[in-house]
Amino acid sequence: MPGSDIAIIGYAQSPSVRDADQSEVQLLVPTVSAAIEMAGIDRREIGFTCAGSCDYLTGGPFAFVSNLEAAGAWPPISESHVEADGAWAMYEAWMRLLEGDIDIALAFGSGKSSPSNPAEVWAQQLDPYYLAPLGVDPASLAAIQARALLDAGKASERDFAEVVSRSRRNAKGNPNAQLRGDVDAESLLAEPYFRAPLRKHDLPPISDAAVAVVMARGDRARQLCSRPAWIRGMDHRIEPHQPGMRDITSSASTTLAARKAGFDGGPLDVVELCSTFSPQEVILREALGLDAGTDINPSGGPLAANPIMAVGLIRIVEAASRIVEGTARTALAHATSGPLLQQNLVCLLEGE
Amino acid sequence: MSDSKVAAPESGAQEGATPKENLVMEHLVSLTYRERLTPNLNRFVDKLLDGQIVGHKCPSCGRVYVPSKGYCPLCVVATSEADEVEVVDTGTVTGFTIITPVAYYGQKATDPFVYASVLLDGADTPLNGQDIVGIPHEQLRMGLRVKAVWKPKEERSAEGISNRGWGGIGSVVSAFEATGEPDASEEVYKEHIF
Repeated sequence: MPGSDIAIIGYAQSPSVRDADQSEVQLLVPTVSAAIEMAGIDRREIGFTCAGSCDYLTGGPFAFVSNLEAAGAWPPISESHVEADGAWAMYEAWMRLLEGDIDIALAFGSGKSSPSNPAEVWAQQLDPYYLAPLGVDPASLAAIQARALLDAGKASERDFAEVVSRSRRNAKGNPNAQLRGDVDAESLLAEPYFRAPLRKHDLPPISDAAVAVVMARGDRARQLCSRPAWIRGMDHRIEPHQPGMRDITSSASTTLAARKAGFDGGPLDVVELCSTFSPQEVILREALGLDAGTDINPSGGPLAANPIMAVGLIRIVEAASRIVEGTARTALAHATSGPLLQQNLVCLLEGE
Repeated sequence: MSDSKVAAPESGAQEGATPKENLVMEHLVSLTYRERLTPNLNRFVDKLLDGQIVGHKCPSCGRVYVPSKGYCPLCVVATSEADEVEVVDTGTVTGFTIITPVAYYGQKATDPFVYASVLLDGADTPLNGQDIVGIPHEQLRMGLRVKAVWKPKEERSAEGISNRGWGGIGSVVSAFEATGEPDASEEVYKEHIF
């Protein structure tokens, strides 16, 4: 029996698309309902609900309030919201379950990046004195990180291209992915630079999507699901906000979060990493001590679909689904937030 | 886009006596958003410009949402054009505020004005932020019967309508006018105040 007595028993995600017709809450309504239906419960059995989203994406103040309607908020329910990826909403819901007085919790994440210009929006998450006024966009920051990796001799541009090639190839088996297909590293390397040393394909797509998970405790989880994905541990750690104050070629917070989540370097059947830019996979692989043979992001990962505020929780769902479906026994999922892997969350999952 | 200015240090400033203005930094931000109306709102606007008011009737509870959100938030059921119903342009004032404008930035009004919620006959959701005309402000009341004042077709636009839920139909229906009918009873609106 794994460390925590809480398991994922239901999940759903909407396909990631470049520009969804529906509102964010319209993406959530069928997604949350499908996760609840898969769990085989009535929504009134849910003891706690937590949502993750960011109003800056759609530009609607208090957009997160209407998102809650997807959970059925009348009569009133016990709920919370994090201005963060759904993975952090799941973390809060998991913590709530650990209290031991409720049996079922719901978490979801959603984001429509399409109405905004992400380069404008995400410059605003930087410190307001030195970086935000410069309007540094995520791609430029990622290029600095990539350059640092190359200069440190930790990776080559070919390594980045190989990550993209595998992501797109793996995404062929994922109906929810946005970018998929066979592209070899050679032809990717022939593309022009977008932000040197990064090429356009080293960046994630702009995506709209929603994702939801239902968790249950102990015997209730076993009753409801024949192969629950037990959450062995979950932890998140934070590094300095200012990228100039840390070594951006490594991720100490990922290493620590993984250890605190209970990862001891043992074998993993599935690894889903929130490597939003291709060089970050190199960093995360090293931070987790994964050997070269470990298959990363069988779903295609964020380079194949990047619905910000859902993309991290999607990593957990992709990992959990393989345990529930019986094709994997151990899995590690990672989510990130902030500039250049500033905050990292690790969720360790195990089948029985 | 950012436009930042840091006050230049004054020449000859004494160490340990930093002038206050050196601590002020302007950081002006504007973010641009472009979006299409959701299919349900797009349909609502098309009909509205034609002089019709449509909503969705929840297939589960039967409540009528005007305009539709594309789902029933109480039943958590998605709705579609198949659930479309038309409502009339007469209704009942369910609540109101008379606002005396103060000259804050962006406030163009100078005289007191009305923000009323109007429950159209056949709808379960009131239209908020409506102007009420044809009656002195001091006679405004819950239960007052009103009818839409439509702008001439050539002056109508979708300007005020957005996916974000604020803004209203003012670019098509300029106000609601008191009809002079007897007031509606509280039973009609007590579950639909806001």
